[in-house]
Amino acid sequence: MAAGGSNRSRLLLVILLVTSLFLITLDLRGVSFTQNSRSVTQTILAPFQRGVSDLFTPVGNFFSDIKSFGATKNKLKILEEENIKLRKKAIFNKDTAGQLKKLQSVLDLAGRGGYKVVSARVIGKGSSSTFSQTITIDSGSNDGVKKDMTVMGELGLVGVVKSTTATSSIVLLMNDPTFRVGVRIARSQSVGVLLGEGGSNYTLKLLDPSGSIEVGDVLLSLGSDNDRPFIPGLPVGYVKAVKNTTGTLTQEASVRSYSSLGSLGVVSIIVKSYNGGPKDALVPVPTPVPTETIYVTQSPVPEVSPVPTSKAKN
Amino acid sequence: MSWSRAGINGLLLSSLFIIQESAISKIQFPIATFSFYLCALLGLMALEDRFGAIALGFIGGIIQDLSPSTDSPLGKWALILTIVGFLFSRNRESIGDFTERPLAFVLFVTVGVSFTLIIFLLLGIILGENNGNMAVNFQIIFGNALWILLFSPILLPGLAKFRSFTLASSDHR
Repeated sequence: MAAGGSNRSRLLLVILLVTSLFLITLDLRGVSFTQNSRSVTQTILAPFQRGVSDLFTPVGNFFSDIKSFGATKNKLKILEEENIKLRKKAIFNKDTAGQLKKLQSVLDLAGRGGYKVVSARVIGKGSSSTFSQTITIDSGSNDGVKKDMTVMGELGLVGVVKSTTATSSIVLLMNDPTFRVGVRIARSQSVGVLLGEGGSNYTLKLLDPSGSIEVGDVLLSLGSDNDRPFIPGLPVGYVKAVKNTTGTLTQEASVRSYSSLGSLGVVSIIVKSYNGGPKDALVPVPTPVPTETIYVTQSPVPEVSPVPTSKAKN
Repeated sequence: MSWSRAGINGLLLSSLFIIQESAISKIQFPIATFSFYLCALLGLMALEDRFGAIALGFIGGIIQDLSPSTDSPLGKWALILTIVGFLFSRNRESIGDFTERPLAFVLFVTVGVSFTLIIFLLLGIILGENNGNMAVNFQIIFGNALWILLFSPILLPGLAKFRSFTLASSDHR
């Protein structure tokens, strides 16, 4: 009986392993049903993600405020209920104001760059147990979003559209290990490739052996054919440190991105770029640090009273 | 594992997957996110016999493969979790019944999830995928293990109860 059970599970193991390997082979050979099946999952998941986002974002800290609820007097109860309603509304307003502020910054950058954009709310984040960095946004092919469109935040590049459904899209973030973007150093016009590393750091590899990198250099996206996947001239990041690469032909550097990928609320998908992009118009201008003026006034020296001498007396 | 139980487990895993993708992944956990789905799946696998663990691993793997955020080829998670299901059932036979040893259960699932993620990375290297910075990957694995250690004592007893309830109702029928 036990041997029968063991044979049965061994047979099942072999069948399932072969099935898995068959599926992997089909996917690697580019059979389209695998992509379609993930699009179907995304279509099913999008309403749940939107629902969870709508439910929890405005009332993030609301639950801790419930503690004071439940007084004995009727009037107090009514007042508390009213208070909770107002608090809820205030939190919601704060959330809306925060999202509006982010949207204003994104639209401001898009306007300066001459981009036609579709704005979208972030409704989900990819699971990091798959070691990939993605977000889900609530705009899809119905809004004109297509695969391989550039996605920008309030300060610059965020990622690229990986797949779309009718009402939502998956965005591959720029810190994903598979993410590569061609960049141009604004100062020297040297060209390089920026690589995502999974965390908050990025590596810049220059393509030109004679090019140089300096700390603080601003990186702009180089652009792609027909502006897909990358629009030219979009701020990407700045050089944090230059790596010591004596054994290699070209220089490398550690880069910090302008966009904070951990706190994305609203993003814009660039649908069209006018006049061949903004060139260097979007290079972030460093904010002037006010210099502190210190006035030094000499403290009054106490006058020495003349000591009467005997001669004077005379 | 009967067809009806496979169906119930499939539905349960689909619900857990939706919770993971729509709610848990939105929470910003320090260090790394909590793999709620993997934790629950391996918890269920640990309670099954060898046949059930292999079948559950494959079903769970296929569901995880359908995650729109994943870049890996379809079937990769199914392959890994089928193997993990087999290895789990082999080790479980030597350890005994987990419902009487909660601490061993939690540790077994924690180690199992970390092991699964390491196999995922290794298979990625074999398939020529770019896994990115190793330090970041190990931080994710470590963070996951930490959260599973913290949350699984709450999650796993609930799952064990649900399993015994579905078992009892299918026996009753």
